[in-house]
Amino acid sequence: MEIEGYQFPEDLYYDKEHYWCRVEGNVVVMGTTDFAQKMAGEIVYVQLPLVGKSITQGKPCGALESGKWVGRIYAVVSGKVLEVNEELEDSPELVNQGPYDRGWMFKVEPSNLEEDLKNLIQGDDLVKFVKSEIIRVAAET
Amino acid sequence: MYLFNVGRLPGQQSMLVFHALARMGVEALVIASPKSPLASIGYFQDAEKEIDLSFCRQHGIPFMRREVGGGATYLDENQIFYQLIWKRSNPGFPVQMRQIFERLSIPACETYRKFGIEASFRQENDIVNQEGKKIAGEGGGDIGECMVFVGGILLDFDYETMSKILKVPDEKFRDKVYKSMEENVTTMKRELSDIPPREEIVQTLIREYEKLIGKLEPAVMDARLVESMNTLEKQFTSKGFLFKKTRRKPKGIKIRGGVEIRYGIHKAKGGLIRTVEELEERKITEIGISGDFQFYPKDELTSMEVELRETEFEEQELRGKIQQFYEEHRVQAPGVTSEDFTTAIIHSQPERPE
Repeated sequence: MEIEGYQFPEDLYYDKEHYWCRVEGNVVVMGTTDFAQKMAGEIVYVQLPLVGKSITQGKPCGALESGKWVGRIYAVVSGKVLEVNEELEDSPELVNQGPYDRGWMFKVEPSNLEEDLKNLIQGDDLVKFVKSEIIRVAAET
Repeated sequence: MYLFNVGRLPGQQSMLVFHALARMGVEALVIASPKSPLASIGYFQDAEKEIDLSFCRQHGIPFMRREVGGGATYLDENQIFYQLIWKRSNPGFPVQMRQIFERLSIPACETYRKFGIEASFRQENDIVNQEGKKIAGEGGGDIGECMVFVGGILLDFDYETMSKILKVPDEKFRDKVYKSMEENVTTMKRELSDIPPREEIVQTLIREYEKLIGKLEPAVMDARLVESMNTLEKQFTSKGFLFKKTRRKPKGIKIRGGVEIRYGIHKAKGGLIRTVEELEERKITEIGISGDFQFYPKDELTSMEVELRETEFEEQELRGKIQQFYEEHRVQAPGVTSEDFTTAIIHSQPERPE
Protein backbone atom coordinates (compact mmCIF):
# COMPACT_ATOMS: atom_id res chain seq x y z
CA MET A 1 0.00 0.00 0.00
CA GLU A 2 0.99 3.58 -0.40
CA ILE A 3 0.92 5.97 2.54
CA GLU A 4 1.25 9.57 1.43
CA GLY A 5 3.67 8.72 -1.35
CA TYR A 6 5.67 6.08 0.54
CA GLN A 7 5.42 2.39 -0.30
CA PHE A 8 4.63 -0.16 2.40
CA PRO A 9 3.95 -3.67 1.06
CA GLU A 10 1.06 -5.14 2.96
CA ASP A 11 2.54 -8.58 3.50
CA LEU A 12 5.35 -7.18 5.65
CA TYR A 13 5.57 -6.45 9.36
CA TYR A 14 7.03 -3.14 10.49
CA ASP A 15 8.64 -1.74 13.61
CA LYS A 16 8.85 1.82 14.88
CA GLU A 17 12.51 2.13 13.97
CA HIS A 18 11.47 2.04 10.30
CA TYR A 19 12.54 -1.50 9.54
CA TRP A 20 10.44 -4.30 8.03
CA CYS A 21 10.45 -8.05 8.02
CA ARG A 22 8.91 -10.69 5.82
CA VAL A 23 8.20 -14.19 7.09
CA GLU A 24 9.21 -16.88 4.62
CA GLY A 25 8.53 -20.17 6.34
CA ASN A 26 11.22 -20.61 8.97
CA VAL A 27 13.19 -17.64 7.79
CA VAL A 28 12.60 -13.93 8.33
CA VAL A 29 13.97 -11.39 5.86
CA MET A 30 14.68 -7.85 7.08
CA GLY A 31 15.31 -4.46 5.59
CA THR A 32 14.51 -0.78 5.95
CA THR A 33 11.43 1.01 4.69
CA ASP A 34 10.82 3.26 1.71
CA PHE A 35 10.15 6.12 4.14
CA ALA A 36 13.43 5.57 5.98
CA GLN A 37 15.56 5.34 2.85
CA LYS A 38 14.07 8.56 1.49
CA MET A 39 14.69 10.35 4.77
CA ALA A 40 18.26 9.05 4.89
CA GLY A 41 19.22 10.11 1.37
CA GLU A 42 21.94 8.28 -0.51
CA ILE A 43 23.20 5.40 1.57
CA VAL A 44 26.94 5.02 1.13
CA TYR A 45 27.71 2.07 3.35
CA VAL A 46 25.87 -0.71 5.12
CA GLN A 47 27.45 -2.74 7.90
CA LEU A 48 25.43 -5.90 8.36
CA PRO A 49 25.59 -8.29 11.30
CA LEU A 50 27.82 -11.30 10.96
CA VAL A 51 26.30 -14.59 9.89
CA GLY A 52 25.75 -16.69 12.98
CA LYS A 53 25.31 -13.72 15.27
CA SER A 54 22.36 -13.67 17.64
CA ILE A 55 20.25 -10.55 17.48
CA THR A 56 17.50 -9.25 19.74
CA GLN A 57 14.34 -7.51 18.69
CA GLY A 58 14.60 -3.74 19.07
CA LYS A 59 18.36 -3.75 19.68
CA PRO A 60 20.98 -2.41 17.24
CA CYS A 61 22.58 -5.13 15.14
CA GLY A 62 24.30 -3.20 12.36
CA ALA A 63 24.90 0.27 11.06
CA LEU A 64 24.70 2.32 7.92
CA GLU A 65 26.02 5.63 6.72
CA SER A 66 24.37 8.30 4.65
CA GLY A 67 25.37 11.94 4.33
CA LYS A 68 28.14 11.54 6.93
CA TRP A 69 25.69 10.23 9.51
CA VAL A 70 26.22 6.79 11.03
CA GLY A 71 22.89 5.33 11.99
CA ARG A 72 21.96 2.03 13.60
CA ILE A 73 20.18 -0.91 12.04
CA TYR A 74 17.71 -2.40 14.49
CA ALA A 75 16.66 -6.05 14.68
CA VAL A 76 13.01 -6.46 13.79
CA VAL A 77 12.82 -9.91 15.37
CA SER A 78 15.13 -11.93 17.56
CA GLY A 79 17.09 -14.85 16.21
CA LYS A 80 20.26 -15.97 14.51
CA VAL A 81 21.55 -14.33 11.35
CA LEU A 82 21.54 -16.88 8.52
CA GLU A 83 22.51 -14.83 5.52
CA VAL A 84 23.35 -11.25 4.63
CA ASN A 85 22.86 -9.43 1.34
CA GLU A 86 26.42 -9.32 0.06
CA GLU A 87 25.39 -7.12 -2.88
CA LEU A 88 25.04 -4.23 -0.46
CA GLU A 89 28.78 -4.31 0.15
CA ASP A 90 29.54 -2.94 -3.30
CA SER A 91 26.19 -1.36 -3.98
CA PRO A 92 24.68 0.16 -0.83
CA GLU A 93 22.50 2.30 -3.08
CA LEU A 94 20.35 -0.80 -3.63
CA VAL A 95 18.74 0.04 -0.31
CA ASN A 96 17.59 3.33 -1.83
CA GLN A 97 16.63 1.80 -5.17
CA GLY A 98 14.72 -1.20 -3.86
CA PRO A 99 14.32 -1.26 -0.07
CA TYR A 100 11.91 -4.21 -0.24
CA ASP A 101 13.60 -6.30 -2.91
CA ARG A 102 17.22 -5.94 -3.99
CA GLY A 103 17.92 -3.82 -0.91
CA TRP A 104 16.99 -6.55 1.60
CA MET A 105 19.57 -6.61 4.37
CA PHE A 106 19.73 -9.97 6.10
CA LYS A 107 17.85 -13.16 6.89
CA VAL A 108 17.27 -14.55 10.33
CA GLU A 109 16.25 -17.85 11.89
CA PRO A 110 13.76 -16.47 14.39
CA SER A 111 13.91 -17.57 18.02
CA ASN A 112 10.69 -16.05 19.32
CA LEU A 113 8.65 -15.24 16.23
CA GLU A 114 5.13 -15.48 17.56
CA GLU A 115 5.82 -13.11 20.43
CA ASP A 116 7.98 -10.79 18.37
CA LEU A 117 5.33 -10.37 15.69
CA LYS A 118 2.92 -9.09 18.35
CA ASN A 119 5.28 -6.13 18.84
CA LEU A 120 5.20 -5.22 15.15
CA ILE A 121 2.58 -3.31 13.20
CA GLN A 122 0.58 -3.65 10.01
CA GLY A 123 -2.60 -2.27 8.48
CA ASP A 124 -4.33 0.61 10.24
CA ASP A 125 -1.74 0.77 13.02
CA LEU A 126 0.96 1.11 10.40
CA VAL A 127 -0.92 3.86 8.58
CA LYS A 128 -1.41 5.74 11.85
CA PHE A 129 2.24 5.42 12.79
CA VAL A 130 3.62 6.41 9.40
CA LYS A 131 1.32 9.40 9.14
CA SER A 132 2.45 10.58 12.56
CA GLU A 133 6.06 10.24 11.48
CA ILE A 134 5.39 12.17 8.29
CA ILE A 135 3.79 14.94 10.34
CA ARG A 136 6.71 14.93 12.75
CA VAL A 137 9.24 15.23 9.94
CA ALA A 138 7.21 17.91 8.16
CA ALA A 139 7.10 19.96 11.36
CA GLU A 140 10.90 19.99 11.38
CA THR A 141 11.20 21.68 7.98
CA MET B 1 21.92 20.73 28.73
CA TYR B 2 25.51 21.26 29.76
CA LEU B 3 28.26 23.30 28.21
CA PHE B 4 31.77 21.86 28.30
CA ASN B 5 34.01 24.65 27.06
CA VAL B 6 37.22 22.71 27.55
CA GLY B 7 39.72 24.66 25.46
CA ARG B 8 42.64 22.71 24.07
CA LEU B 9 42.84 19.06 25.00
CA PRO B 10 45.47 16.46 24.09
CA GLY B 11 44.68 15.32 20.55
CA GLN B 12 42.50 12.27 21.01
CA GLN B 13 40.82 13.57 24.14
CA SER B 14 39.29 16.42 22.16
CA MET B 15 37.33 13.74 20.31
CA LEU B 16 36.92 11.20 23.14
CA VAL B 17 34.98 13.70 25.22
CA PHE B 18 31.85 13.54 23.04
CA HIS B 19 32.08 9.77 22.70
CA ALA B 20 32.15 9.46 26.47
CA LEU B 21 29.33 11.92 27.11
CA ALA B 22 27.13 10.15 24.57
CA ARG B 23 27.70 6.78 26.23
CA MET B 24 26.97 8.34 29.61
CA GLY B 25 23.72 9.77 28.26
CA VAL B 26 24.76 13.32 29.14
CA GLU B 27 23.28 15.98 26.90
CA ALA B 28 25.83 18.66 26.21
CA LEU B 29 27.55 21.05 23.87
CA VAL B 30 31.31 20.57 23.86
CA ILE B 31 33.67 23.21 22.50
CA ALA B 32 37.20 21.88 22.18
CA SER B 33 40.35 21.96 20.11
CA PRO B 34 43.14 19.41 19.89
CA LYS B 35 46.34 20.63 21.51
CA SER B 36 48.39 18.56 19.08
CA PRO B 37 47.60 17.34 15.57
CA LEU B 38 45.96 14.05 14.77
CA ALA B 39 44.41 12.29 11.83
CA SER B 40 40.85 11.08 12.16
CA ILE B 41 38.97 8.54 10.09
CA GLY B 42 35.26 7.96 9.82
CA TYR B 43 33.60 5.02 11.51
CA PHE B 44 33.50 2.77 8.47
CA GLN B 45 36.82 3.60 6.94
CA ASP B 46 39.66 1.12 6.69
CA ALA B 47 42.69 2.90 8.16
CA GLU B 48 45.22 1.08 6.01
CA LYS B 49 43.37 2.08 2.86
CA GLU B 50 42.70 5.68 3.78
CA ILE B 51 45.67 6.96 5.80
CA ASP B 52 49.37 7.04 4.95
CA LEU B 53 50.31 5.37 8.21
CA SER B 54 53.99 5.53 7.45
CA PHE B 55 53.88 9.31 7.03
CA CYS B 56 51.86 9.67 10.22
CA ARG B 57 54.31 7.51 12.16
CA GLN B 58 57.34 9.38 10.84
CA HIS B 59 55.82 12.73 11.79
CA GLY B 60 54.39 11.70 15.12
CA ILE B 61 50.78 12.20 14.04
CA PRO B 62 48.50 9.75 15.82
CA PHE B 63 45.30 8.69 14.16
CA MET B 64 41.97 7.74 15.64
CA ARG B 65 38.71 6.29 14.43
CA ARG B 66 35.64 8.31 15.36
CA GLU B 67 32.15 6.87 15.73
CA VAL B 68 30.55 9.34 13.36
CA GLY B 69 30.55 9.45 9.58
CA GLY B 70 32.59 11.25 6.99
CA GLY B 71 36.09 10.76 5.68
CA ALA B 72 39.70 11.00 6.72
CA THR B 73 40.75 14.38 7.95
CA TYR B 74 43.63 16.19 9.62
CA LEU B 75 42.83 17.97 12.85
CA ASP B 76 44.91 20.50 14.74
CA GLU B 77 44.54 23.43 17.12
CA ASN B 78 43.45 25.69 14.29
CA GLN B 79 40.02 24.14 14.45
CA ILE B 80 37.38 24.80 17.08
CA PHE B 81 35.22 21.69 17.41
CA TYR B 82 31.56 21.94 18.30
CA GLN B 83 30.08 18.66 19.44
CA LEU B 84 26.42 18.43 20.38
CA ILE B 85 25.04 15.42 22.24
CA TRP B 86 21.36 14.84 22.93
CA LYS B 87 19.16 11.88 23.79
CA ARG B 88 17.28 10.27 20.93
CA SER B 89 14.10 10.67 22.91
CA ASN B 90 14.56 14.45 23.30
CA PRO B 91 11.63 16.02 21.42
CA GLY B 92 13.49 19.31 21.10
CA PHE B 93 15.70 17.99 18.33
CA PRO B 94 14.93 16.94 14.75
CA VAL B 95 14.92 13.24 13.95
CA GLN B 96 15.42 13.47 10.25
CA MET B 97 19.10 13.51 9.38
CA ARG B 98 18.88 16.34 6.86
CA GLN B 99 17.09 18.54 9.34
CA ILE B 100 19.59 17.68 12.05
CA PHE B 101 22.44 18.90 9.91
CA GLU B 102 20.66 21.95 8.57
CA ARG B 103 19.30 23.16 11.90
CA LEU B 104 22.35 22.39 14.01
CA SER B 105 24.65 24.10 11.48
CA ILE B 106 22.94 27.44 12.09
CA PRO B 107 25.15 28.46 15.05
CA ALA B 108 28.37 27.84 13.11
CA CYS B 109 27.01 29.73 10.10
CA GLU B 110 25.92 32.62 12.30
CA THR B 111 29.31 32.65 14.01
CA TYR B 112 31.07 32.98 10.68
CA ARG B 113 28.64 35.73 9.67
CA LYS B 114 29.29 37.66 12.86
CA PHE B 115 32.92 37.83 11.78
CA GLY B 116 32.05 38.96 8.26
CA ILE B 117 32.00 35.66 6.38
CA GLU B 118 28.80 34.85 4.52
CA ALA B 119 28.53 31.19 5.44
CA SER B 120 25.63 28.89 4.78
CA PHE B 121 24.76 25.23 5.08
CA ARG B 122 24.93 23.10 1.98
CA GLN B 123 24.05 19.48 1.27
CA GLU B 124 25.75 17.18 1.75
CA ASN B 125 26.56 18.50 5.07
CA ASP B 126 29.20 21.12 4.76
CA ILE B 127 29.23 24.77 5.58
CA VAL B 128 30.35 26.88 2.66
CA ASN B 129 31.21 30.51 1.99
CA GLN B 130 29.48 32.66 -0.61
CA GLU B 131 31.68 31.18 -3.35
CA GLY B 132 30.72 27.66 -2.38
CA LYS B 133 34.06 26.83 -0.78
CA LYS B 134 33.89 24.55 2.21
CA ILE B 135 34.63 26.29 5.50
CA ALA B 136 33.49 23.60 7.93
CA GLY B 137 32.96 19.86 7.71
CA GLU B 138 30.32 18.14 9.79
CA GLY B 139 29.27 14.64 10.70
CA GLY B 140 27.05 12.77 13.09
CA GLY B 141 25.84 9.48 14.38
CA ASP B 142 23.97 7.43 16.90
CA ILE B 143 26.04 6.54 19.96
CA GLY B 144 24.32 4.59 22.71
CA GLU B 145 21.02 6.22 23.53
CA CYS B 146 22.23 9.54 22.18
CA MET B 147 22.69 11.30 18.89
CA VAL B 148 25.81 13.28 18.21
CA PHE B 149 26.43 16.13 15.78
CA VAL B 150 29.98 17.40 15.29
CA GLY B 151 31.76 20.00 13.25
CA GLY B 152 34.71 22.35 13.31
CA ILE B 153 35.24 26.07 12.73
CA LEU B 154 38.29 26.35 10.49
CA LEU B 155 40.53 29.10 11.77
CA ASP B 156 43.32 27.96 9.50
CA PHE B 157 44.16 24.73 7.71
CA ASP B 158 47.33 22.85 6.90
CA TYR B 159 46.46 21.80 3.35
CA GLU B 160 49.85 20.27 2.74
CA THR B 161 49.81 17.97 5.73
CA MET B 162 46.20 17.08 5.02
CA SER B 163 47.17 15.90 1.56
CA LYS B 164 50.11 13.97 3.01
CA ILE B 165 48.21 12.02 5.63
CA LEU B 166 45.99 10.53 2.94
CA LYS B 167 46.78 7.22 1.32
CA VAL B 168 47.02 7.93 -2.40
CA PRO B 169 47.99 5.79 -5.39
CA ASP B 170 50.74 8.13 -6.54
CA GLU B 171 52.12 11.62 -6.10
CA LYS B 172 50.27 12.94 -9.12
CA PHE B 173 47.02 12.08 -7.35
CA ARG B 174 48.25 13.71 -4.16
CA ASP B 175 49.09 16.90 -6.07
CA LYS B 176 45.61 16.89 -7.53
CA VAL B 177 44.08 16.47 -4.08
CA TYR B 178 46.22 19.25 -2.65
CA LYS B 179 45.39 21.61 -5.49
CA SER B 180 41.70 20.83 -5.27
CA MET B 181 41.65 21.41 -1.52
CA GLU B 182 43.35 24.75 -1.97
CA GLU B 183 40.67 25.72 -4.46
CA ASN B 184 37.67 24.32 -2.64
CA VAL B 185 38.35 24.66 1.08
CA THR B 186 38.74 27.99 2.80
CA THR B 187 39.33 29.21 6.34
CA MET B 188 38.78 32.24 8.53
CA LYS B 189 42.37 33.27 7.91
CA ARG B 190 41.94 33.14 4.15
CA GLU B 191 38.64 34.97 4.23
CA LEU B 192 39.67 37.67 6.70
CA SER B 193 43.47 37.78 6.22
CA ASP B 194 43.75 37.21 9.95
CA ILE B 195 42.27 35.02 12.65
CA PRO B 196 40.02 36.83 15.15
CA PRO B 197 40.71 36.17 18.84
CA ARG B 198 39.85 32.55 19.60
CA GLU B 199 37.87 33.35 22.74
CA GLU B 200 35.64 35.75 20.83
CA ILE B 201 34.86 33.06 18.29
CA VAL B 202 34.15 30.52 21.03
CA GLN B 203 31.83 32.85 22.94
CA THR B 204 29.99 33.76 19.76
CA LEU B 205 29.50 30.10 18.91
CA ILE B 206 28.18 29.36 22.39
CA ARG B 207 25.76 32.30 22.24
CA GLU B 208 24.48 31.15 18.87
CA TYR B 209 23.92 27.63 20.15
CA GLU B 210 22.06 28.99 23.16
CA LYS B 211 19.80 30.96 20.85
CA LEU B 212 18.96 27.71 19.12
CA ILE B 213 18.77 25.14 21.92
CA GLY B 214 18.35 27.21 25.07
CA LYS B 215 20.51 28.23 27.97
CA LEU B 216 23.44 25.94 28.67
CA GLU B 217 24.69 25.10 32.11
CA PRO B 218 28.49 25.39 32.32
CA ALA B 219 30.12 22.17 33.45
CA VAL B 220 33.62 20.87 33.99
CA MET B 221 35.12 17.53 33.18
CA ASP B 222 34.62 15.69 36.43
CA ALA B 223 36.22 12.45 37.59
CA ARG B 224 33.42 10.34 36.18
CA LEU B 225 33.78 11.84 32.71
CA VAL B 226 37.56 11.62 32.79
CA GLU B 227 37.38 7.99 33.87
CA SER B 228 34.95 7.25 31.05
CA MET B 229 37.28 8.93 28.57
CA ASN B 230 40.26 6.98 29.87
CA THR B 231 38.37 3.71 29.52
CA LEU B 232 37.35 4.64 26.01
CA GLU B 233 40.88 5.64 25.14
CA LYS B 234 42.06 2.10 25.80
CA GLN B 235 39.42 0.76 23.45
CA PHE B 236 39.92 3.44 20.82
CA THR B 237 43.69 3.02 20.72
CA SER B 238 43.55 -0.76 20.54
CA LYS B 239 44.82 -2.25 17.32
CA GLY B 240 41.57 -4.11 16.86
CA PHE B 241 39.58 -0.89 16.82
CA LEU B 242 42.04 1.31 14.96
CA PHE B 243 42.76 -1.22 12.26
CA LYS B 244 39.27 -2.65 12.09
CA LYS B 245 38.74 -4.08 8.66
CA THR B 246 35.69 -2.78 6.92
CA ARG B 247 34.60 -3.78 3.48
CA ARG B 248 34.08 -0.21 2.45
CA LYS B 249 36.05 0.49 -0.68
CA PRO B 250 37.43 4.00 -1.08
CA LYS B 251 36.05 5.44 -4.28
CA GLY B 252 37.97 8.65 -4.28
CA ILE B 253 38.67 11.57 -2.05
CA LYS B 254 35.84 13.94 -1.35
CA ILE B 255 37.09 17.51 -1.14
CA ARG B 256 33.75 19.09 -0.35
CA GLY B 257 30.11 18.39 -1.17
CA GLY B 258 29.97 17.74 -4.91
CA VAL B 259 33.73 17.77 -5.51
CA GLU B 260 35.84 14.64 -5.45
CA ILE B 261 39.05 13.30 -6.90
CA ARG B 262 38.98 9.84 -8.39
CA TYR B 263 41.70 7.58 -9.60
CA GLY B 264 41.44 4.90 -12.23
CA ILE B 265 43.74 2.14 -13.36
CA HIS B 266 43.20 -0.39 -16.10
CA LYS B 267 45.50 -2.85 -17.80
CA ALA B 268 44.87 -2.76 -21.53
CA LYS B 269 46.65 -5.12 -23.93
CA GLY B 270 48.83 -2.24 -25.00
CA GLY B 271 49.80 -1.11 -21.50
CA LEU B 272 48.65 0.28 -18.20
CA ILE B 273 46.32 3.28 -18.20
CA ARG B 274 46.13 5.57 -15.17
CA THR B 275 43.63 8.37 -14.80
CA VAL B 276 43.11 11.06 -12.20
CA GLU B 277 39.97 13.10 -12.51
CA GLU B 278 38.36 15.87 -10.57
CA LEU B 279 34.60 15.70 -10.56
CA GLU B 280 32.22 18.48 -9.69
CA GLU B 281 28.56 17.55 -9.42
CA ARG B 282 29.37 14.34 -11.32
CA LYS B 283 31.01 16.14 -14.24
CA ILE B 284 34.67 15.91 -15.09
CA THR B 285 36.29 19.30 -14.53
CA GLU B 286 39.82 18.07 -15.06
CA ILE B 287 41.41 14.81 -16.04
CA GLY B 288 44.94 13.55 -16.37
CA ILE B 289 45.69 10.38 -18.32
CA SER B 290 49.01 8.63 -18.19
CA GLY B 291 50.53 5.18 -18.46
CA ASP B 292 52.94 3.04 -20.41
CA PHE B 293 50.93 2.77 -23.61
CA GLN B 294 51.57 4.28 -27.01
CA PHE B 295 49.28 6.94 -28.37
CA TYR B 296 49.51 8.70 -31.74
CA PRO B 297 49.38 11.53 -32.60
CA LYS B 298 51.27 12.10 -29.32
CA ASP B 299 49.84 15.57 -28.61
CA GLU B 300 46.33 14.28 -28.99
CA LEU B 301 46.34 12.62 -25.58
CA THR B 302 46.34 16.09 -24.04
CA SER B 303 43.63 17.10 -26.49
CA MET B 304 41.56 14.14 -25.39
CA GLU B 305 41.94 15.24 -21.76
CA VAL B 306 40.70 18.69 -22.71
CA GLU B 307 37.85 17.19 -24.73
CA LEU B 308 36.68 15.17 -21.73
CA ARG B 309 36.25 18.22 -19.51
CA GLU B 310 32.63 18.99 -18.74
CA THR B 311 31.65 15.43 -19.63
CA GLU B 312 29.13 13.75 -17.39
CA PHE B 313 30.82 11.03 -15.32
CA GLU B 314 28.57 8.39 -16.82
CA GLU B 315 29.60 5.32 -18.78
CA GLN B 316 27.57 5.80 -21.95
CA GLU B 317 28.45 9.44 -22.26
CA LEU B 318 32.16 8.82 -21.73
CA ARG B 319 32.18 5.91 -24.12
CA GLY B 320 30.54 7.99 -26.84
CA LYS B 321 32.87 10.92 -26.41
CA ILE B 322 36.07 8.90 -26.36
CA GLN B 323 34.98 6.83 -29.35
CA GLN B 324 34.15 9.98 -31.28
CA PHE B 325 37.53 11.42 -30.38
CA TYR B 326 39.29 8.29 -31.59
CA GLU B 327 37.47 8.54 -34.94
CA GLU B 328 37.82 12.27 -35.47
CA HIS B 329 41.50 12.40 -34.55
CA ARG B 330 42.37 9.05 -36.13
CA VAL B 331 43.99 7.86 -32.96
CA GLN B 332 46.48 5.04 -33.24
CA ALA B 333 47.09 3.37 -29.89
CA PRO B 334 48.34 -0.21 -30.30
CA GLY B 335 46.46 -2.53 -27.96
CA VAL B 336 44.52 0.35 -26.39
CA THR B 337 40.97 0.92 -27.56
CA SER B 338 38.58 3.72 -26.74
CA GLU B 339 36.78 1.19 -24.55
CA ASP B 340 39.95 0.72 -22.49
CA PHE B 341 40.00 4.41 -21.66
CA THR B 342 36.33 4.31 -20.74
CA THR B 343 36.96 1.38 -18.43
CA ALA B 344 39.92 3.09 -16.78
CA ILE B 345 37.96 6.26 -16.10
CA ILE B 346 34.52 5.03 -15.19
CA HIS B 347 35.43 2.04 -13.12
CA SER B 348 37.74 4.13 -11.01
CA GLN B 349 37.93 2.02 -7.90
CA PRO B 350 41.10 3.36 -6.43
CA GLU B 351 42.43 0.27 -4.73
CA ARG B 352 45.33 2.21 -3.37
CA PRO B 353 48.52 0.31 -2.85
CA GLU B 354 48.59 -1.39 0.57
